[in-house]
Amino acid sequence: MTAVLVIEDDDRIRLAMLLALDDEGYDAYGVATAEEGLRRQRTTPADNVLVDLMLPGMDGFECIRQLRRDDDVPIVVISARDDTHDIVAALEAGADDYVVKPVAIKELSARLRALRRRGRATQVPTQVFGDLEISPDAGEVRRAGQPVPVTRTEFRLLCELAEHAGKVLSRQQLLQRVWGYDTGDERLVDVHVGRVRQKIEQDPANPRHLVTLRGLGYKLQR
Amino acid sequence: MTRLGLRARVSAGFAVGALLLAASMALFSYDLTRRSLLEERERTAVRAAYFDAAVVRTGLETDAPDVVEVLRSLDTGSLRRPLLHRNDRWYARTAETGAGAIPTELRRIVRSGKPAVQRVRLDGQPVLLVGVPLSDTTSYYELTSLREVEQTLQVVGLTLTAVAIMIAGSGAALGWYATRRSVRPLTDVADVAEKIAAGDFGTRLDATTDPDLTRFSTSFNHMVDQLVQRIERDRRFAADVSHELRSPLQTLAAAASVLARRREHQDERTATAAGLVADEITRFQRLVDDLIQLARTEQPVQREPVDVVALARDTCRARSLPDSLVRTGATTTTTTWSIDRRRVEQILLNLLDNSVRYGRGAVAVRLTCRPPDVGVLEVDDQGPGVPPADREVIFGRFVRGRAAHARADSDGTGLGLALVAQHAAAHGGRVGVTDRPGGGARFWVELPGCLS
Repeated sequence: MTAVLVIEDDDRIRLAMLLALDDEGYDAYGVATAEEGLRRQRTTPADNVLVDLMLPGMDGFECIRQLRRDDDVPIVVISARDDTHDIVAALEAGADDYVVKPVAIKELSARLRALRRRGRATQVPTQVFGDLEISPDAGEVRRAGQPVPVTRTEFRLLCELAEHAGKVLSRQQLLQRVWGYDTGDERLVDVHVGRVRQKIEQDPANPRHLVTLRGLGYKLQR
Repeated sequence: MTRLGLRARVSAGFAVGALLLAASMALFSYDLTRRSLLEERERTAVRAAYFDAAVVRTGLETDAPDVVEVLRSLDTGSLRRPLLHRNDRWYARTAETGAGAIPTELRRIVRSGKPAVQRVRLDGQPVLLVGVPLSDTTSYYELTSLREVEQTLQVVGLTLTAVAIMIAGSGAALGWYATRRSVRPLTDVADVAEKIAAGDFGTRLDATTDPDLTRFSTSFNHMVDQLVQRIERDRRFAADVSHELRSPLQTLAAAASVLARRREHQDERTATAAGLVADEITRFQRLVDDLIQLARTEQPVQREPVDVVALARDTCRARSLPDSLVRTGATTTTTTWSIDRRRVEQILLNLLDNSVRYGRGAVAVRLTCRPPDVGVLEVDDQGPGVPPADREVIFGRFVRGRAAHARADSDGTGLGLALVAQHAAAHGGRVGVTDRPGGGARFWVELPGCLS
């Protein structure tokens, strides 16, 4: 059974969500503070983490950063706030997705499922982009021979771009293929591309491999 | 009668004032000139008359003098004409000068032995009469033409009138100029107020160095600050309330899904009630989302190049509609528009939702361009159309069409089209609805500045 950790300080929201996630077949458990969530995740790691941003004590952004430091567990932010500033900050801290309250549990469940995938089932051979190697089947990214730690979402993004190497993928296409959204928030793609560039590009401000085509989308090139 | 504007009134005041001043000055000068000219001429005439009278007296002292010859011997020039009354007879050099010219009153005074001077008009000409008694029976008169003086006075009068009129005109011009200077701060205020009314809340009056205007501009700017703060507070309040509603809605949504899962274990009444709760939570959620959107529409648009055809297709798919609904006009040269993606997506989604709710579904989504740089979105439906009386009001907040078949009044938030209008306005564009040829309604949105 898939384990889900819910970090939410509002008791009633937490209780209702745990009940509903339980109905969806998850092994869901909740905590009220970021500190407790981090402790819990270290002792008994969950397969997904849902985190609120407004938490007493350590806030959601810091919580995401610390969770991300330890592992690549898919993290979904559930927040009542939908200002660009908050969304971008949470994604930059390391969250994989951002949903705004109230979210239907079925929708949330679909999001979690999409995020747990690691790469695609198809056997795609290792692709080389200069000093960058992407091995979809091995689930590995190497730069100059050294493994690059990427999250599952970042990895799926790279695989998708590598599969269409040299071709432009629009943000909407990437949203559909990487996150499983029909239509969604393009900032999700932009922030993830930025995160990936930090890891694979020598000069992330002037990317050589993962380039932006203004108004069109992104392209991975040699 | 329309009231004259401030500037016109001030200028007229200046003109009248200047005219009064100039006219009184002119009258005064005219009078002065006239009096001194006439006095001068009179003095000369009297002196000349005395001189002539002396000559005549000498001429008459001879025995049996030829009076006419004596008169002819006078060197009077063309301006003076002598006349002699002697023993009840009149003598003149020529026949034209008659005794009738001398008023009786003057004759009486002169006959009584006193010299006299009088100004009269003879045959329309101004003439100065000087009478000098020579003896008990003899009076000498001299008629001096004042025509030259009168002509000079006429020229002076005309000149003074012209000057007065010119001064009045200058007064009016000065008034116009002075009021323009003094009204300029008001014009500046009007410009700024117009900008603020158009939604540019950052505009303020420039700080002035003129101490008379500092208080004015400071208090105006202060008033705008207060208003903007108030608007911002109201806007933020709506947004804050909506955000605060989201958290309890999360509890409700999750709890409702737990109830929905157990539908088969519930009796009919409980299931119906649970279904109502779930539906209303959905509507509540939409309302909150729309309110938050509405609070945000005041923010400036963030234009970026967007492939509108792809956007429209994605939007159709998101509403489970075939993307073949999306069509481009024959004149559409480019489908990459410079627009705020999220807002235009919202426009399309809301129009599609509207067509489903009130127009039996969308039948076409059309994207066209109009010179110079206007992008036009149109969504056609196959419903009953919108009556002309409603065509403007349906874009207001919390207004729903009164169409009889509006199948789901309970479904909409009443904000969808208002949001469409606000998003279009944020792009500097307009919205509207007309009849679709062949039945149904055609909602259109114009987005200027798309193709730059």
